[in-house]
Amino acid sequence: MSVIMGFLQALPGLLQLTLEAGVLLLLPALGGVLSERSGVTNIAMEGMMLTGAFFAVVIDLSTRNPWIATLGAIVAGGLMALIHAVVSIRFHANQIISGFAINIFAGGLTAFLVDKLFNESGGTDHVAQGARLPYITVPVLSNIPFVGPILFQQNIIVYVGLLLLVVINFMLFRTRLGLRLRAVGEHPQAADTAGINVYVLRYGAVIASGLLSGLAGAFLSIGILNVFNPGMTDGRGYIALAAMIFGKWSPVGAFVACLIFGLGEAIYANNSSIHISPQLLATLPYLLTLVVLAGLVGKSTPPAADGIPYEPGAE
Amino acid sequence: MAAPPTQIERGRPAAPPAVTQRVRQWGAALGMPIASVLFAFVVGAIVIIVTGGDPVLAYQSLLCGGFGASCSGTVYPALQLSETIVNTIPLILTGLSVAIAFRGGLFNIGAEGQLIAGVIATTWVGIQFGTLPGFVLLPLVLIAGTLAGALWGGIAGVLKAYTGAHEVVTTIMLNYIALYLLRYLIVAGPMELKGQHSVSASIGAGGQLPTLIPSTAKLFDLPGAVYRAHTGIFIALAAAAFFAFLLKRTSLGYEIRAVGQSQRAARYAGVSVSRTIIVSMLLAGAFAGLSGAVQIAGLRHNLTDSYGPDSTGFDGIAVALLGQNTAIGAVLAAVLFAALHVGGQFMQSNANVSSHLVEILQALILFSIAANFLYSFRLRLPGLRRARSAAPTIAEQGVVAVAPDRGPPAVPEPDKSGSV
Repeated sequence: MSVIMGFLQALPGLLQLTLEAGVLLLLPALGGVLSERSGVTNIAMEGMMLTGAFFAVVIDLSTRNPWIATLGAIVAGGLMALIHAVVSIRFHANQIISGFAINIFAGGLTAFLVDKLFNESGGTDHVAQGARLPYITVPVLSNIPFVGPILFQQNIIVYVGLLLLVVINFMLFRTRLGLRLRAVGEHPQAADTAGINVYVLRYGAVIASGLLSGLAGAFLSIGILNVFNPGMTDGRGYIALAAMIFGKWSPVGAFVACLIFGLGEAIYANNSSIHISPQLLATLPYLLTLVVLAGLVGKSTPPAADGIPYEPGAE
Repeated sequence: MAAPPTQIERGRPAAPPAVTQRVRQWGAALGMPIASVLFAFVVGAIVIIVTGGDPVLAYQSLLCGGFGASCSGTVYPALQLSETIVNTIPLILTGLSVAIAFRGGLFNIGAEGQLIAGVIATTWVGIQFGTLPGFVLLPLVLIAGTLAGALWGGIAGVLKAYTGAHEVVTTIMLNYIALYLLRYLIVAGPMELKGQHSVSASIGAGGQLPTLIPSTAKLFDLPGAVYRAHTGIFIALAAAAFFAFLLKRTSLGYEIRAVGQSQRAARYAGVSVSRTIIVSMLLAGAFAGLSGAVQIAGLRHNLTDSYGPDSTGFDGIAVALLGQNTAIGAVLAAVLFAALHVGGQFMQSNANVSSHLVEILQALILFSIAANFLYSFRLRLPGLRRARSAAPTIAEQGVVAVAPDRGPPAVPEPDKSGSV
């Protein structure tokens, strides 16, 4: 009985962490959804997120302004994505190799710059408490028992992320732009014939994935934490990729997957009341994704033209 | 050389003289890798200059440190060379792992996970049967690691063949599962050594590969024990020879290449595509698993948490691509990347340029190969054009290998390879 009581007491804190970890995964997962819906395979969220995390800390340390730092992180993530876009779209490269190279490049570049700027101490200096992205307690609503602390005592980026989820889901399925984006990812030749500029939409979608991943990086390094360490994203970009597939390339589906994976991470971080090996628990997102991929829980099919460089006139 | 000429081309009467053609093929095969490396070094030099370093000193230290040239008084050339050999061994094997999958039209991004599976199995067997004599235990541990890697790769192969699950995604997932499984075993888990943190016991002495220099000897004023280069290099080279033989001289190799070039054509030729996909991934996993086995038997002797940041499996992708998916290419590329890793440490202390520059160089090489800048800008050497068209580069082949799989199949395909 005491185990169950302990679990119930820990539950609100656990779910609060779940939402936070879930939104951290949601941002790059939304980026992945946009990029792959437009027909560009993107496994580079890990690297773009890492880049964002680094520049957020560096800019925050010099300006002491988390908003400018976050903006810088978003731009830095977007620039990384631009490399992936140019290499994949302009040069028709193998998009998996290109995305993989982005991840190595981002890991190498950020570690290189940490060595350069912080005298090979293995990490950056710490961001001051007041210069971090703030946690916001919504008045009145946060006093609702149980639900209040879970939903209304969160980092500002959690609210931003949920808003972006709604906006992107609406954009993708309820607007002309979304229809065009999906058309480009399913059948670019037909879209091109109908007068849609395939390249512009693909560039836009890939860069958007970088902006979102950069924001996630800032959320991690100056929101949840206050420092940058090389490799600190620790595979979250790949989990976001898994969430995107798990959610069948839909924003809402990806969010559900992010919450499941976020719960795993919350339990991993807060293991005092639940006695499962945290390492075994950490394999859960990946095992679940394998199960989904194997078609045991409904089929997960990517956009038809995902990963294929567009050649006008080719059919 | 990505695609050897077919029988028809070889027998074609209008073909240019054999010597000229061979020179052209070598030029085409070497041209892109060399250009990619040069491109990376030029961009890397810009990075060094922008961050206030001296690129000449940095590259001098990098190459001298890596290849054991004594261009500086502070370095022990033989020791540096020994370290480069140590780093070359697993890279050859993971490079072969990625390369054989590429030849079969598959992208094995999971060499890392397969290597970890091999590392775990090798150590477990090496501890459980640690008292057996060497001539039994050594083959046993190597086979255990190889089989475990093959199993790990085979999972992705079976999923691909029977459900169409894309191997890139499944192998990424399997990488993380292997990594956390390793951590589970040694961080307060069943294989953790009593009284120690995050390490397992060592494998039995019989299961350990001897080093090249006896520890009692003395070489260049240093005791033999500091030279870590081990006889695993011969295993890696033998694996490379096996790779070449398999692909060129066996019907299985022919089937793998046929499926890699066109699944549809292979199917009409009577090749079982799903069986070949599974075999390709089993072989890819076996090479990576052997890499893990050799690391344990030759170098580490026990499990530690250091396989997390270790990126040997991922470096195998760069090795395979730079080596154009051939055995000789993989060996040469492995030597280059190993030398860069070893030289990077020396560069950091000697030229005060962070060793992480090596990762930047590696990524730049990958970009260059993937985008095939040389080809895109038409910067080809005169006379190479025809040779190139006979032998498509791997960047082109890579696109072909990955892209059509994900597109709508032109004819109904029973193995459902059209979906992830």
